[in-house]
Parts: sequence; C-alpha cells; structure tokens
Amino acid sequence: MIALGAGLAVLGALGAGIGIGIATGKATEAVARQPEAQGKISSTLILGCALAEATAIYGFVIALLIILMLG
Amino acid sequence: MNSLSQAIKAELNVDDVFNIPVFGGIAIPESLVVTWGVMAVLVILALWLTHDMKVDHISKRQAFAEFLVTKLETLIGNVVGEKGKRYVPYLLTVLLYLALSNIVGIFGFKSPTKDLGVTASLALMSIVLVEAAGIRARSVKGWLKSFTKPVAIVTPINILEVFTRPLSLCMRLFGNVLGSFVIMELIKMVVPYVLPAVLSLYFDLFDGILQAYVFVFLTGLYIQDAIE
Repeated sequence: MIALGAGLAVLGALGAGIGIGIATGKATEAVARQPEAQGKISSTLILGCALAEATAIYGFVIALLIILMLG
Repeated sequence: MNSLSQAIKAELNVDDVFNIPVFGGIAIPESLVVTWGVMAVLVILALWLTHDMKVDHISKRQAFAEFLVTKLETLIGNVVGEKGKRYVPYLLTVLLYLALSNIVGIFGFKSPTKDLGVTASLALMSIVLVEAAGIRARSVKGWLKSFTKPVAIVTPINILEVFTRPLSLCMRLFGNVLGSFVIMELIKMVVPYVLPAVLSLYFDLFDGILQAYVFVFLTGLYIQDAIE
C-alpha cells in the first residue's frame, strides 16, 4: 500500500515529461526558423527544462517522504 | 528495497561531527563543516586571484579574474536589470557557493545542499532580500500596495506567494541534489563500473551547476519583479 502511494506520487513526472517535450519541440522549430539565434534559444530551453523538471522533483520528494516516514 | 531505504535514511540523516562545549553544547552538523571547507576554498581562490592587481601590464591571472567577474556579472545583471545592480554581488556569492557545494559530492564529501536546513536557510535569505528590496525601492506603503496589483482580488494569492516562493526554491534545490544522488546510488548497484563515471558528469556536474544557476536566477527574477 505504501509502495503504491509512492508510485502514485511519482505520477507528477508525467506533467514534467509533457512540458519538456513541448518546450523542446518549440525550440527545434525556433532553431529551424532562425538558426543564428541557436545559442540564446538553447540556453532559454535548458532553463525552462530545469524549471519544468521541478514538478517531477516535488513528486519524487513526496514519494521518498512516504517511503521513509511510513515504510 | 530494504537496504536501499536504509542507505537513503543514513544519507538523509545529518550527523553531528562534534559539540562546542558552551551554552550546554552547540551541535555542529556535517553540512556545516563541509560548508566551512567550501568557504575556505572560495576565499583562498579569491585572495589568490585578486592579490597585487595592476592597472596596466596585467598578468594572466588578473586577466582571468577580470574575465570571470565580467562574465558572471553580465549573466546575473541581465536578470535583475539596471536598478537591481546592487544585489548582483550577493547573488554571485550564492551562485559560487551553491555550485561548489553541489559539485563537492564528486570528491567524496557530503554535499551541504543535501541537508534540508541549508537549502531552507538559503531560501529564507532569498525571500527576506526580495521583500527588503521591494520595501527599499517603493517604501513601505508602496510595498503594501504592490500586494493588490494587478487587481485587488488576487491579494490572497500574492500574500501566499511570499510563503510558496521560498518553499519551492528550497524544495527544488534539495530535491534535485537528493534525486540525482539516489539515482547515482541505484546505478552503482546495477552497473558498478564505467557507467557511473559517465553519468556522474551529467548528474553531479551539469545538474549541480544548473540548479545553482536556477536558484540564483529565480531569486534575481523575484528581486527584479519586486523593484520594477
């Protein structure tokens, strides 16, 4: 039951995956349109990915807390 | 499963290294000792880079120091804007400290950022600085009024933000450092050779520096938001 709860908490990673996927897709489009702006686009992309990842990290922290505190 | 949970528990637990025998004993946790080490490295590096500077015929060392400072200042200065220039030195100090303490795990020390107390206190310092910058730029009345912007109905959300911002800053840093550590431990269990070294480049070096930058970037963004 506890393992199940931890697994459910990590479902938050779904949103991060979708978000990073969309961001990367748009960044690829932007580079295709304006190859000269690649440096700026990729640094913005990395920053955005790091921010989007945060939701997955929250899920992970909660899963870890569930396992450690209840398990 | 059980041995892993034990290992994670042992890592999460911050051991006290020794006690200072005053006021009934002050416990010194391991993260604080590693922080002193990080501080010593940064201070010695700064002293070595900046001693006997000249105006002309500069040495390679001074050129490198100037290059580093200008690069970092433009990096953060772009975020906080022209009016927030006075906050750049603080943000750069936090950036250097966080980057080094995230990387220090490679050398076998326990990263100070894996201690929730360290990230929580850094996030608290950030939010105090943000609110103080807001008061300084707009005076107390203007600062209070800024809670009702853009429309009066969002006031509760704006007040809530004062608490959620440091919480998210703190949890993002802590979770990332701990997460990459746990993943590295799992990989070491499955493939003990070669692969951990390659992946540690990403998880320890790249992710550590990136998260330090994200922390400072967000603090800068909040400051810029507060003083504009």
